[in-house]
Amino acid sequence: MSDRERTVVVVGGGIAGIQVSLDLANMGFDVHLVERTPSIGGRMAQLDKTFPTNDCSMCILSPKMIECANNPRIKMHTYSELESVKGAFPAFEVVIREKARYVDLTRCTGCGDCVAKCPSKVSSEFDAGLVKRKAIYVPFVQAVPKKMTIDKEHCIMITKGKCGNCKKACKAGAIDYDQKDNLITFEASAIVLATGFDVFDVTVAQEFSYGRAKNVLTSLELERMLNASGPTGGHIVRPSDHQEPKKIAFIQCVCSRDKKYKEYCSSVCCMYATKEAILAREHCPELSSTIFYMDLRAVGKGFQNFVQRAKRDYGVEYIRARPAKVEEDPTTGDALVYYENSRTGESIARRYDMVVLCPALVPTLGSESLCSLLGVRIDGDKFVAIPRPADRPVDTSVKGIFACGFCQTPMDIPDSVVQASGAAARVAQALGVS
Amino acid sequence: MPEFEPRILAFCCNWCSYAGADLAGVSRLQMPPNIHIIRVMCSGNVKPEYVVKSLVEGVDGVLVLGCHIGDCHYISGNHRTIKRFALLERLMDDLGIDKRRIRVDWVSASEGEKFQKVVSEFVAQVKSLGPNDIRRDAA
Amino acid sequence: MEPRIGVFICHCGSNIANTVDVEEVVRYASTLPDVVHADHNMYSCSEDGVGSIKAKIKEKGIDRVVVAACTPRTHEPLFRNACEAAGINRYLFEFVNIREHCSWIHMKERELATEKAKRLVRMGVAKVALLTPQEESESPVVKSAAVIGGGVSGMTAAISLADQGFETHLIEKGSELGGLVKDLGALFPSESTPLEFVKTMRDETAASGVRIHLSSEIKDIQGYIGNFDVTISENGKEEKFKVGVVITATGADELKPVGEYGYGRYPNVITQSELEKKLAKGERVGNTVMIQCVGARQPGREYCSRICCMTAIKNAGRILALEPKSRVVVVHRDIMSYNARNEALYRKSMEDGVTYLRYTLEDKPRVEGRDRAEKITLREETLDEDIALPFDTLVLSTPLVPNPDNGKLQKMLKVPLDRDGFFLEAHVKLRPVEFATDGVFICGCARWPSDVPECISQAGAAAAKASIPLRAGKVRTEAITAEVDETTCTGCGNCIATCAYGAISIVEVEGMRVARVNLAQCKGCGACVGSCHNGSIQQRGFTEKQLISMIDCLTEGD
Repeated sequence: MSDRERTVVVVGGGIAGIQVSLDLANMGFDVHLVERTPSIGGRMAQLDKTFPTNDCSMCILSPKMIECANNPRIKMHTYSELESVKGAFPAFEVVIREKARYVDLTRCTGCGDCVAKCPSKVSSEFDAGLVKRKAIYVPFVQAVPKKMTIDKEHCIMITKGKCGNCKKACKAGAIDYDQKDNLITFEASAIVLATGFDVFDVTVAQEFSYGRAKNVLTSLELERMLNASGPTGGHIVRPSDHQEPKKIAFIQCVCSRDKKYKEYCSSVCCMYATKEAILAREHCPELSSTIFYMDLRAVGKGFQNFVQRAKRDYGVEYIRARPAKVEEDPTTGDALVYYENSRTGESIARRYDMVVLCPALVPTLGSESLCSLLGVRIDGDKFVAIPRPADRPVDTSVKGIFACGFCQTPMDIPDSVVQASGAAARVAQALGVS
Repeated sequence: MPEFEPRILAFCCNWCSYAGADLAGVSRLQMPPNIHIIRVMCSGNVKPEYVVKSLVEGVDGVLVLGCHIGDCHYISGNHRTIKRFALLERLMDDLGIDKRRIRVDWVSASEGEKFQKVVSEFVAQVKSLGPNDIRRDAA
Repeated sequence: MEPRIGVFICHCGSNIANTVDVEEVVRYASTLPDVVHADHNMYSCSEDGVGSIKAKIKEKGIDRVVVAACTPRTHEPLFRNACEAAGINRYLFEFVNIREHCSWIHMKERELATEKAKRLVRMGVAKVALLTPQEESESPVVKSAAVIGGGVSGMTAAISLADQGFETHLIEKGSELGGLVKDLGALFPSESTPLEFVKTMRDETAASGVRIHLSSEIKDIQGYIGNFDVTISENGKEEKFKVGVVITATGADELKPVGEYGYGRYPNVITQSELEKKLAKGERVGNTVMIQCVGARQPGREYCSRICCMTAIKNAGRILALEPKSRVVVVHRDIMSYNARNEALYRKSMEDGVTYLRYTLEDKPRVEGRDRAEKITLREETLDEDIALPFDTLVLSTPLVPNPDNGKLQKMLKVPLDRDGFFLEAHVKLRPVEFATDGVFICGCARWPSDVPECISQAGAAAAKASIPLRAGKVRTEAITAEVDETTCTGCGNCIATCAYGAISIVEVEGMRVARVNLAQCKGCGACVGSCHNGSIQQRGFTEKQLISMIDCLTEGD
């Protein structure tokens, strides 16, 4: 195998990207793993626990992240993007842009002395906007690489030429305000897309009052609250008064399975809502949850048992209904959920301390332009199109470019991991290597 | 007379409780400086004999921390732990050692706060039991 | 020869040094037994820090190293590499955590934190003095594979491995390849017919050079990763071969719901696969009612079989295509058209005129008829009313159930089954196509009901995983494995019962039965050590002597 044949690019450092990189590396390939944010880990790093076993997400993800960092065949490019790709399978000419972090990674030890001194605060993407981070930051405690990044848009030194606190605090001399983006060019034989998903902004669905009612949250926000290392230390509190809620409602399919917004099913929400309801009850034994759903999609191994446990042992109530609206009661901050009794047609209003919306999950914001750059077709919902889904489930419309995980269609962690390994097999097969 | 500062040994498994202790550290969760961690790969590696020996020779308390049941990195190691120590607890009276000087618990890699809680509680408990005077009593 | 220990204490900038008096710890370390050099660094993990450690090792003839710094979980490999580069065996190294476990959690108690750091360093020094050099040894891997089951999953896995250049045996019980798919009437989401699909795959299988064994049964499988001995009976004739890895792709069967809804009694009550056969022949089935979840999602069989809703939607569409005037009703409890592709097909089905009605488990539909089934009465969930649905044909969507041979195969491969009888993978989330037992893999409906694209992904994944040891030609064994002192072992078998990986077995040595550890399978957990009465089994790197030497540091005077 030549160097080029042996080289593969993986775009996206979530669990699918990590898995395909590890498999390819273990099969003898050299991998360039490109991740847009400062750390690999993706959505799984944001989760508290994962269904159906409720094991701790970071506990099972972290060893894989560390394995990726330590594997001599994997070169991670974090805070980086694919700049351009020319040529065709099996000879792609690839350019990666490593964005300037203004931190010398060879000197930064991730000690954190700089963060304490930074005066600039920014809404934390990792914590779903529930708290703020600093302009110089590590997105989360177990980040890989554990190195700092300066978000230049919010850095006072870079935008206004004043401050410099972090540089003064850094004993390793790792701050470099003059750092520039770095372009890296090389040849590769194949590309694997694993760019994952974003949460659809449900503010547009005004009937649910998201963004106006204080105690109406998205499921990702609740997940960050549930996480012991999250912004509330694992305590569920109402944003309005910091009280513990006693009654929570989950509303499934918000802007999902909906002709007005997204028609498709996001696959994982019935299960994660059940999970969050179970965890919420574990955190507050007096808490009760109601899940408003359309079809309860629990199709994987152990999923039905999980739902039965939720009903039987955690008092989770399931109501088959599609609430028409959620309104805030301004005096108490409570949220009122309005739904219809399907038999009589009458409208019922139920009062909850907190309402959690399970939004449509959409392909990552940058994936449309990435596919455009690569000439890879996307479908009407902007997922990566798979022309032959039956027998070539990870092949895109461009030969030598593969896609795995949520970026091609909604799927859970086990299915993403399987597809990622399947993509590694396809790369090896397509190259005919042994 | 200086306050009694217990000397406590903690066996922590590499995958869960040691990592949980790390997280507690990273989160700067403060706790009393009485515990000394010995890292093992699995709590199933901890022989009750080690615990007995420590206590017989004057350590004031021993913590054995592993993964939650069902989460053991080596599948069933922690099942062994819980069985062995349940048995050991029943023998402690015969040995003349207060069984409250041993605690077995589960701490996952993401439970920094639980680690802090378990350590703080156990140190307080052992403090209230006073120094382990077994050697002096035996002499 | 006395050990020559080097101790390096890290400041970690101000992270350790602000709380722990690093220089005091260095001074203390230099008084410890066998320590020939004690030093400190600002950042031990930096290029600078590692470089100075390597230099000191060479300069002072250090042969064992202790670094007291952050958590080993991040930088242990880094320092092990440094030791190796400086000429010391990488396992003569001990990492002491005085940051996460000391300076960061006792920030207001500097004196006590410093005393604790000293004790922790003393424990590390005591252990490192007793460590022995270790090598990660290697076990050879036969570069061939066996795939059990010749359906779509098995063929895909076999093709993938053969294309990568490995000799691959595909073992099929029946007389032809194709599994469940060859008997389908139509295949979603494909344009080809199932038979065309299967034929293409059969051709690819043969063209890739896979050694196909039809009408073959597994008689026995012995061995472990890299070294499996497979015995099959092919058309009655016994054949043996050696392989390095085994992929299980034995599929599943459709449940025949005898007794439910008149199945077995009425000739016009059939299962989905029986419907597929009729539709493939162009047979007219008339007005049709389909009932979902027959024999599934109920006490006794609680799981959802994942693919039956999409099968019903597919077949409902085909009935309408053949007989546009027929009325098709699907009676269900939830429609499981998960993801984007499936949801779009469901939506189209409704737009094309298929009716979807709900029933509840507590109030199942009731069938009526004389010589033929004529109608069902359904308590519709949403309307909470009884509805009578007459039909020409009643189709029951039943779950896939585990292959009855799973129990036999499981014992041969030493792999577990889950509570529903499907094979149980190593980790439901992160290792869905592997078993805890190394070298054995799982894909397709033998693991869990899956549609064709999912089976193919899984088969590819299993082949990818299986190819890793095959490519390497060897497996690296853990260095921290268990070993038995055969002179003191009494052969009681406690360790064998404790080992979750089946890595220990009894062997006869000079007429005595003793335990022996298979290094290729041992994962280095040490659980066996915990169960040994007399300390005959020990774990390298965590021996009883080493752990007790650390305990002694706490019980002796400071």
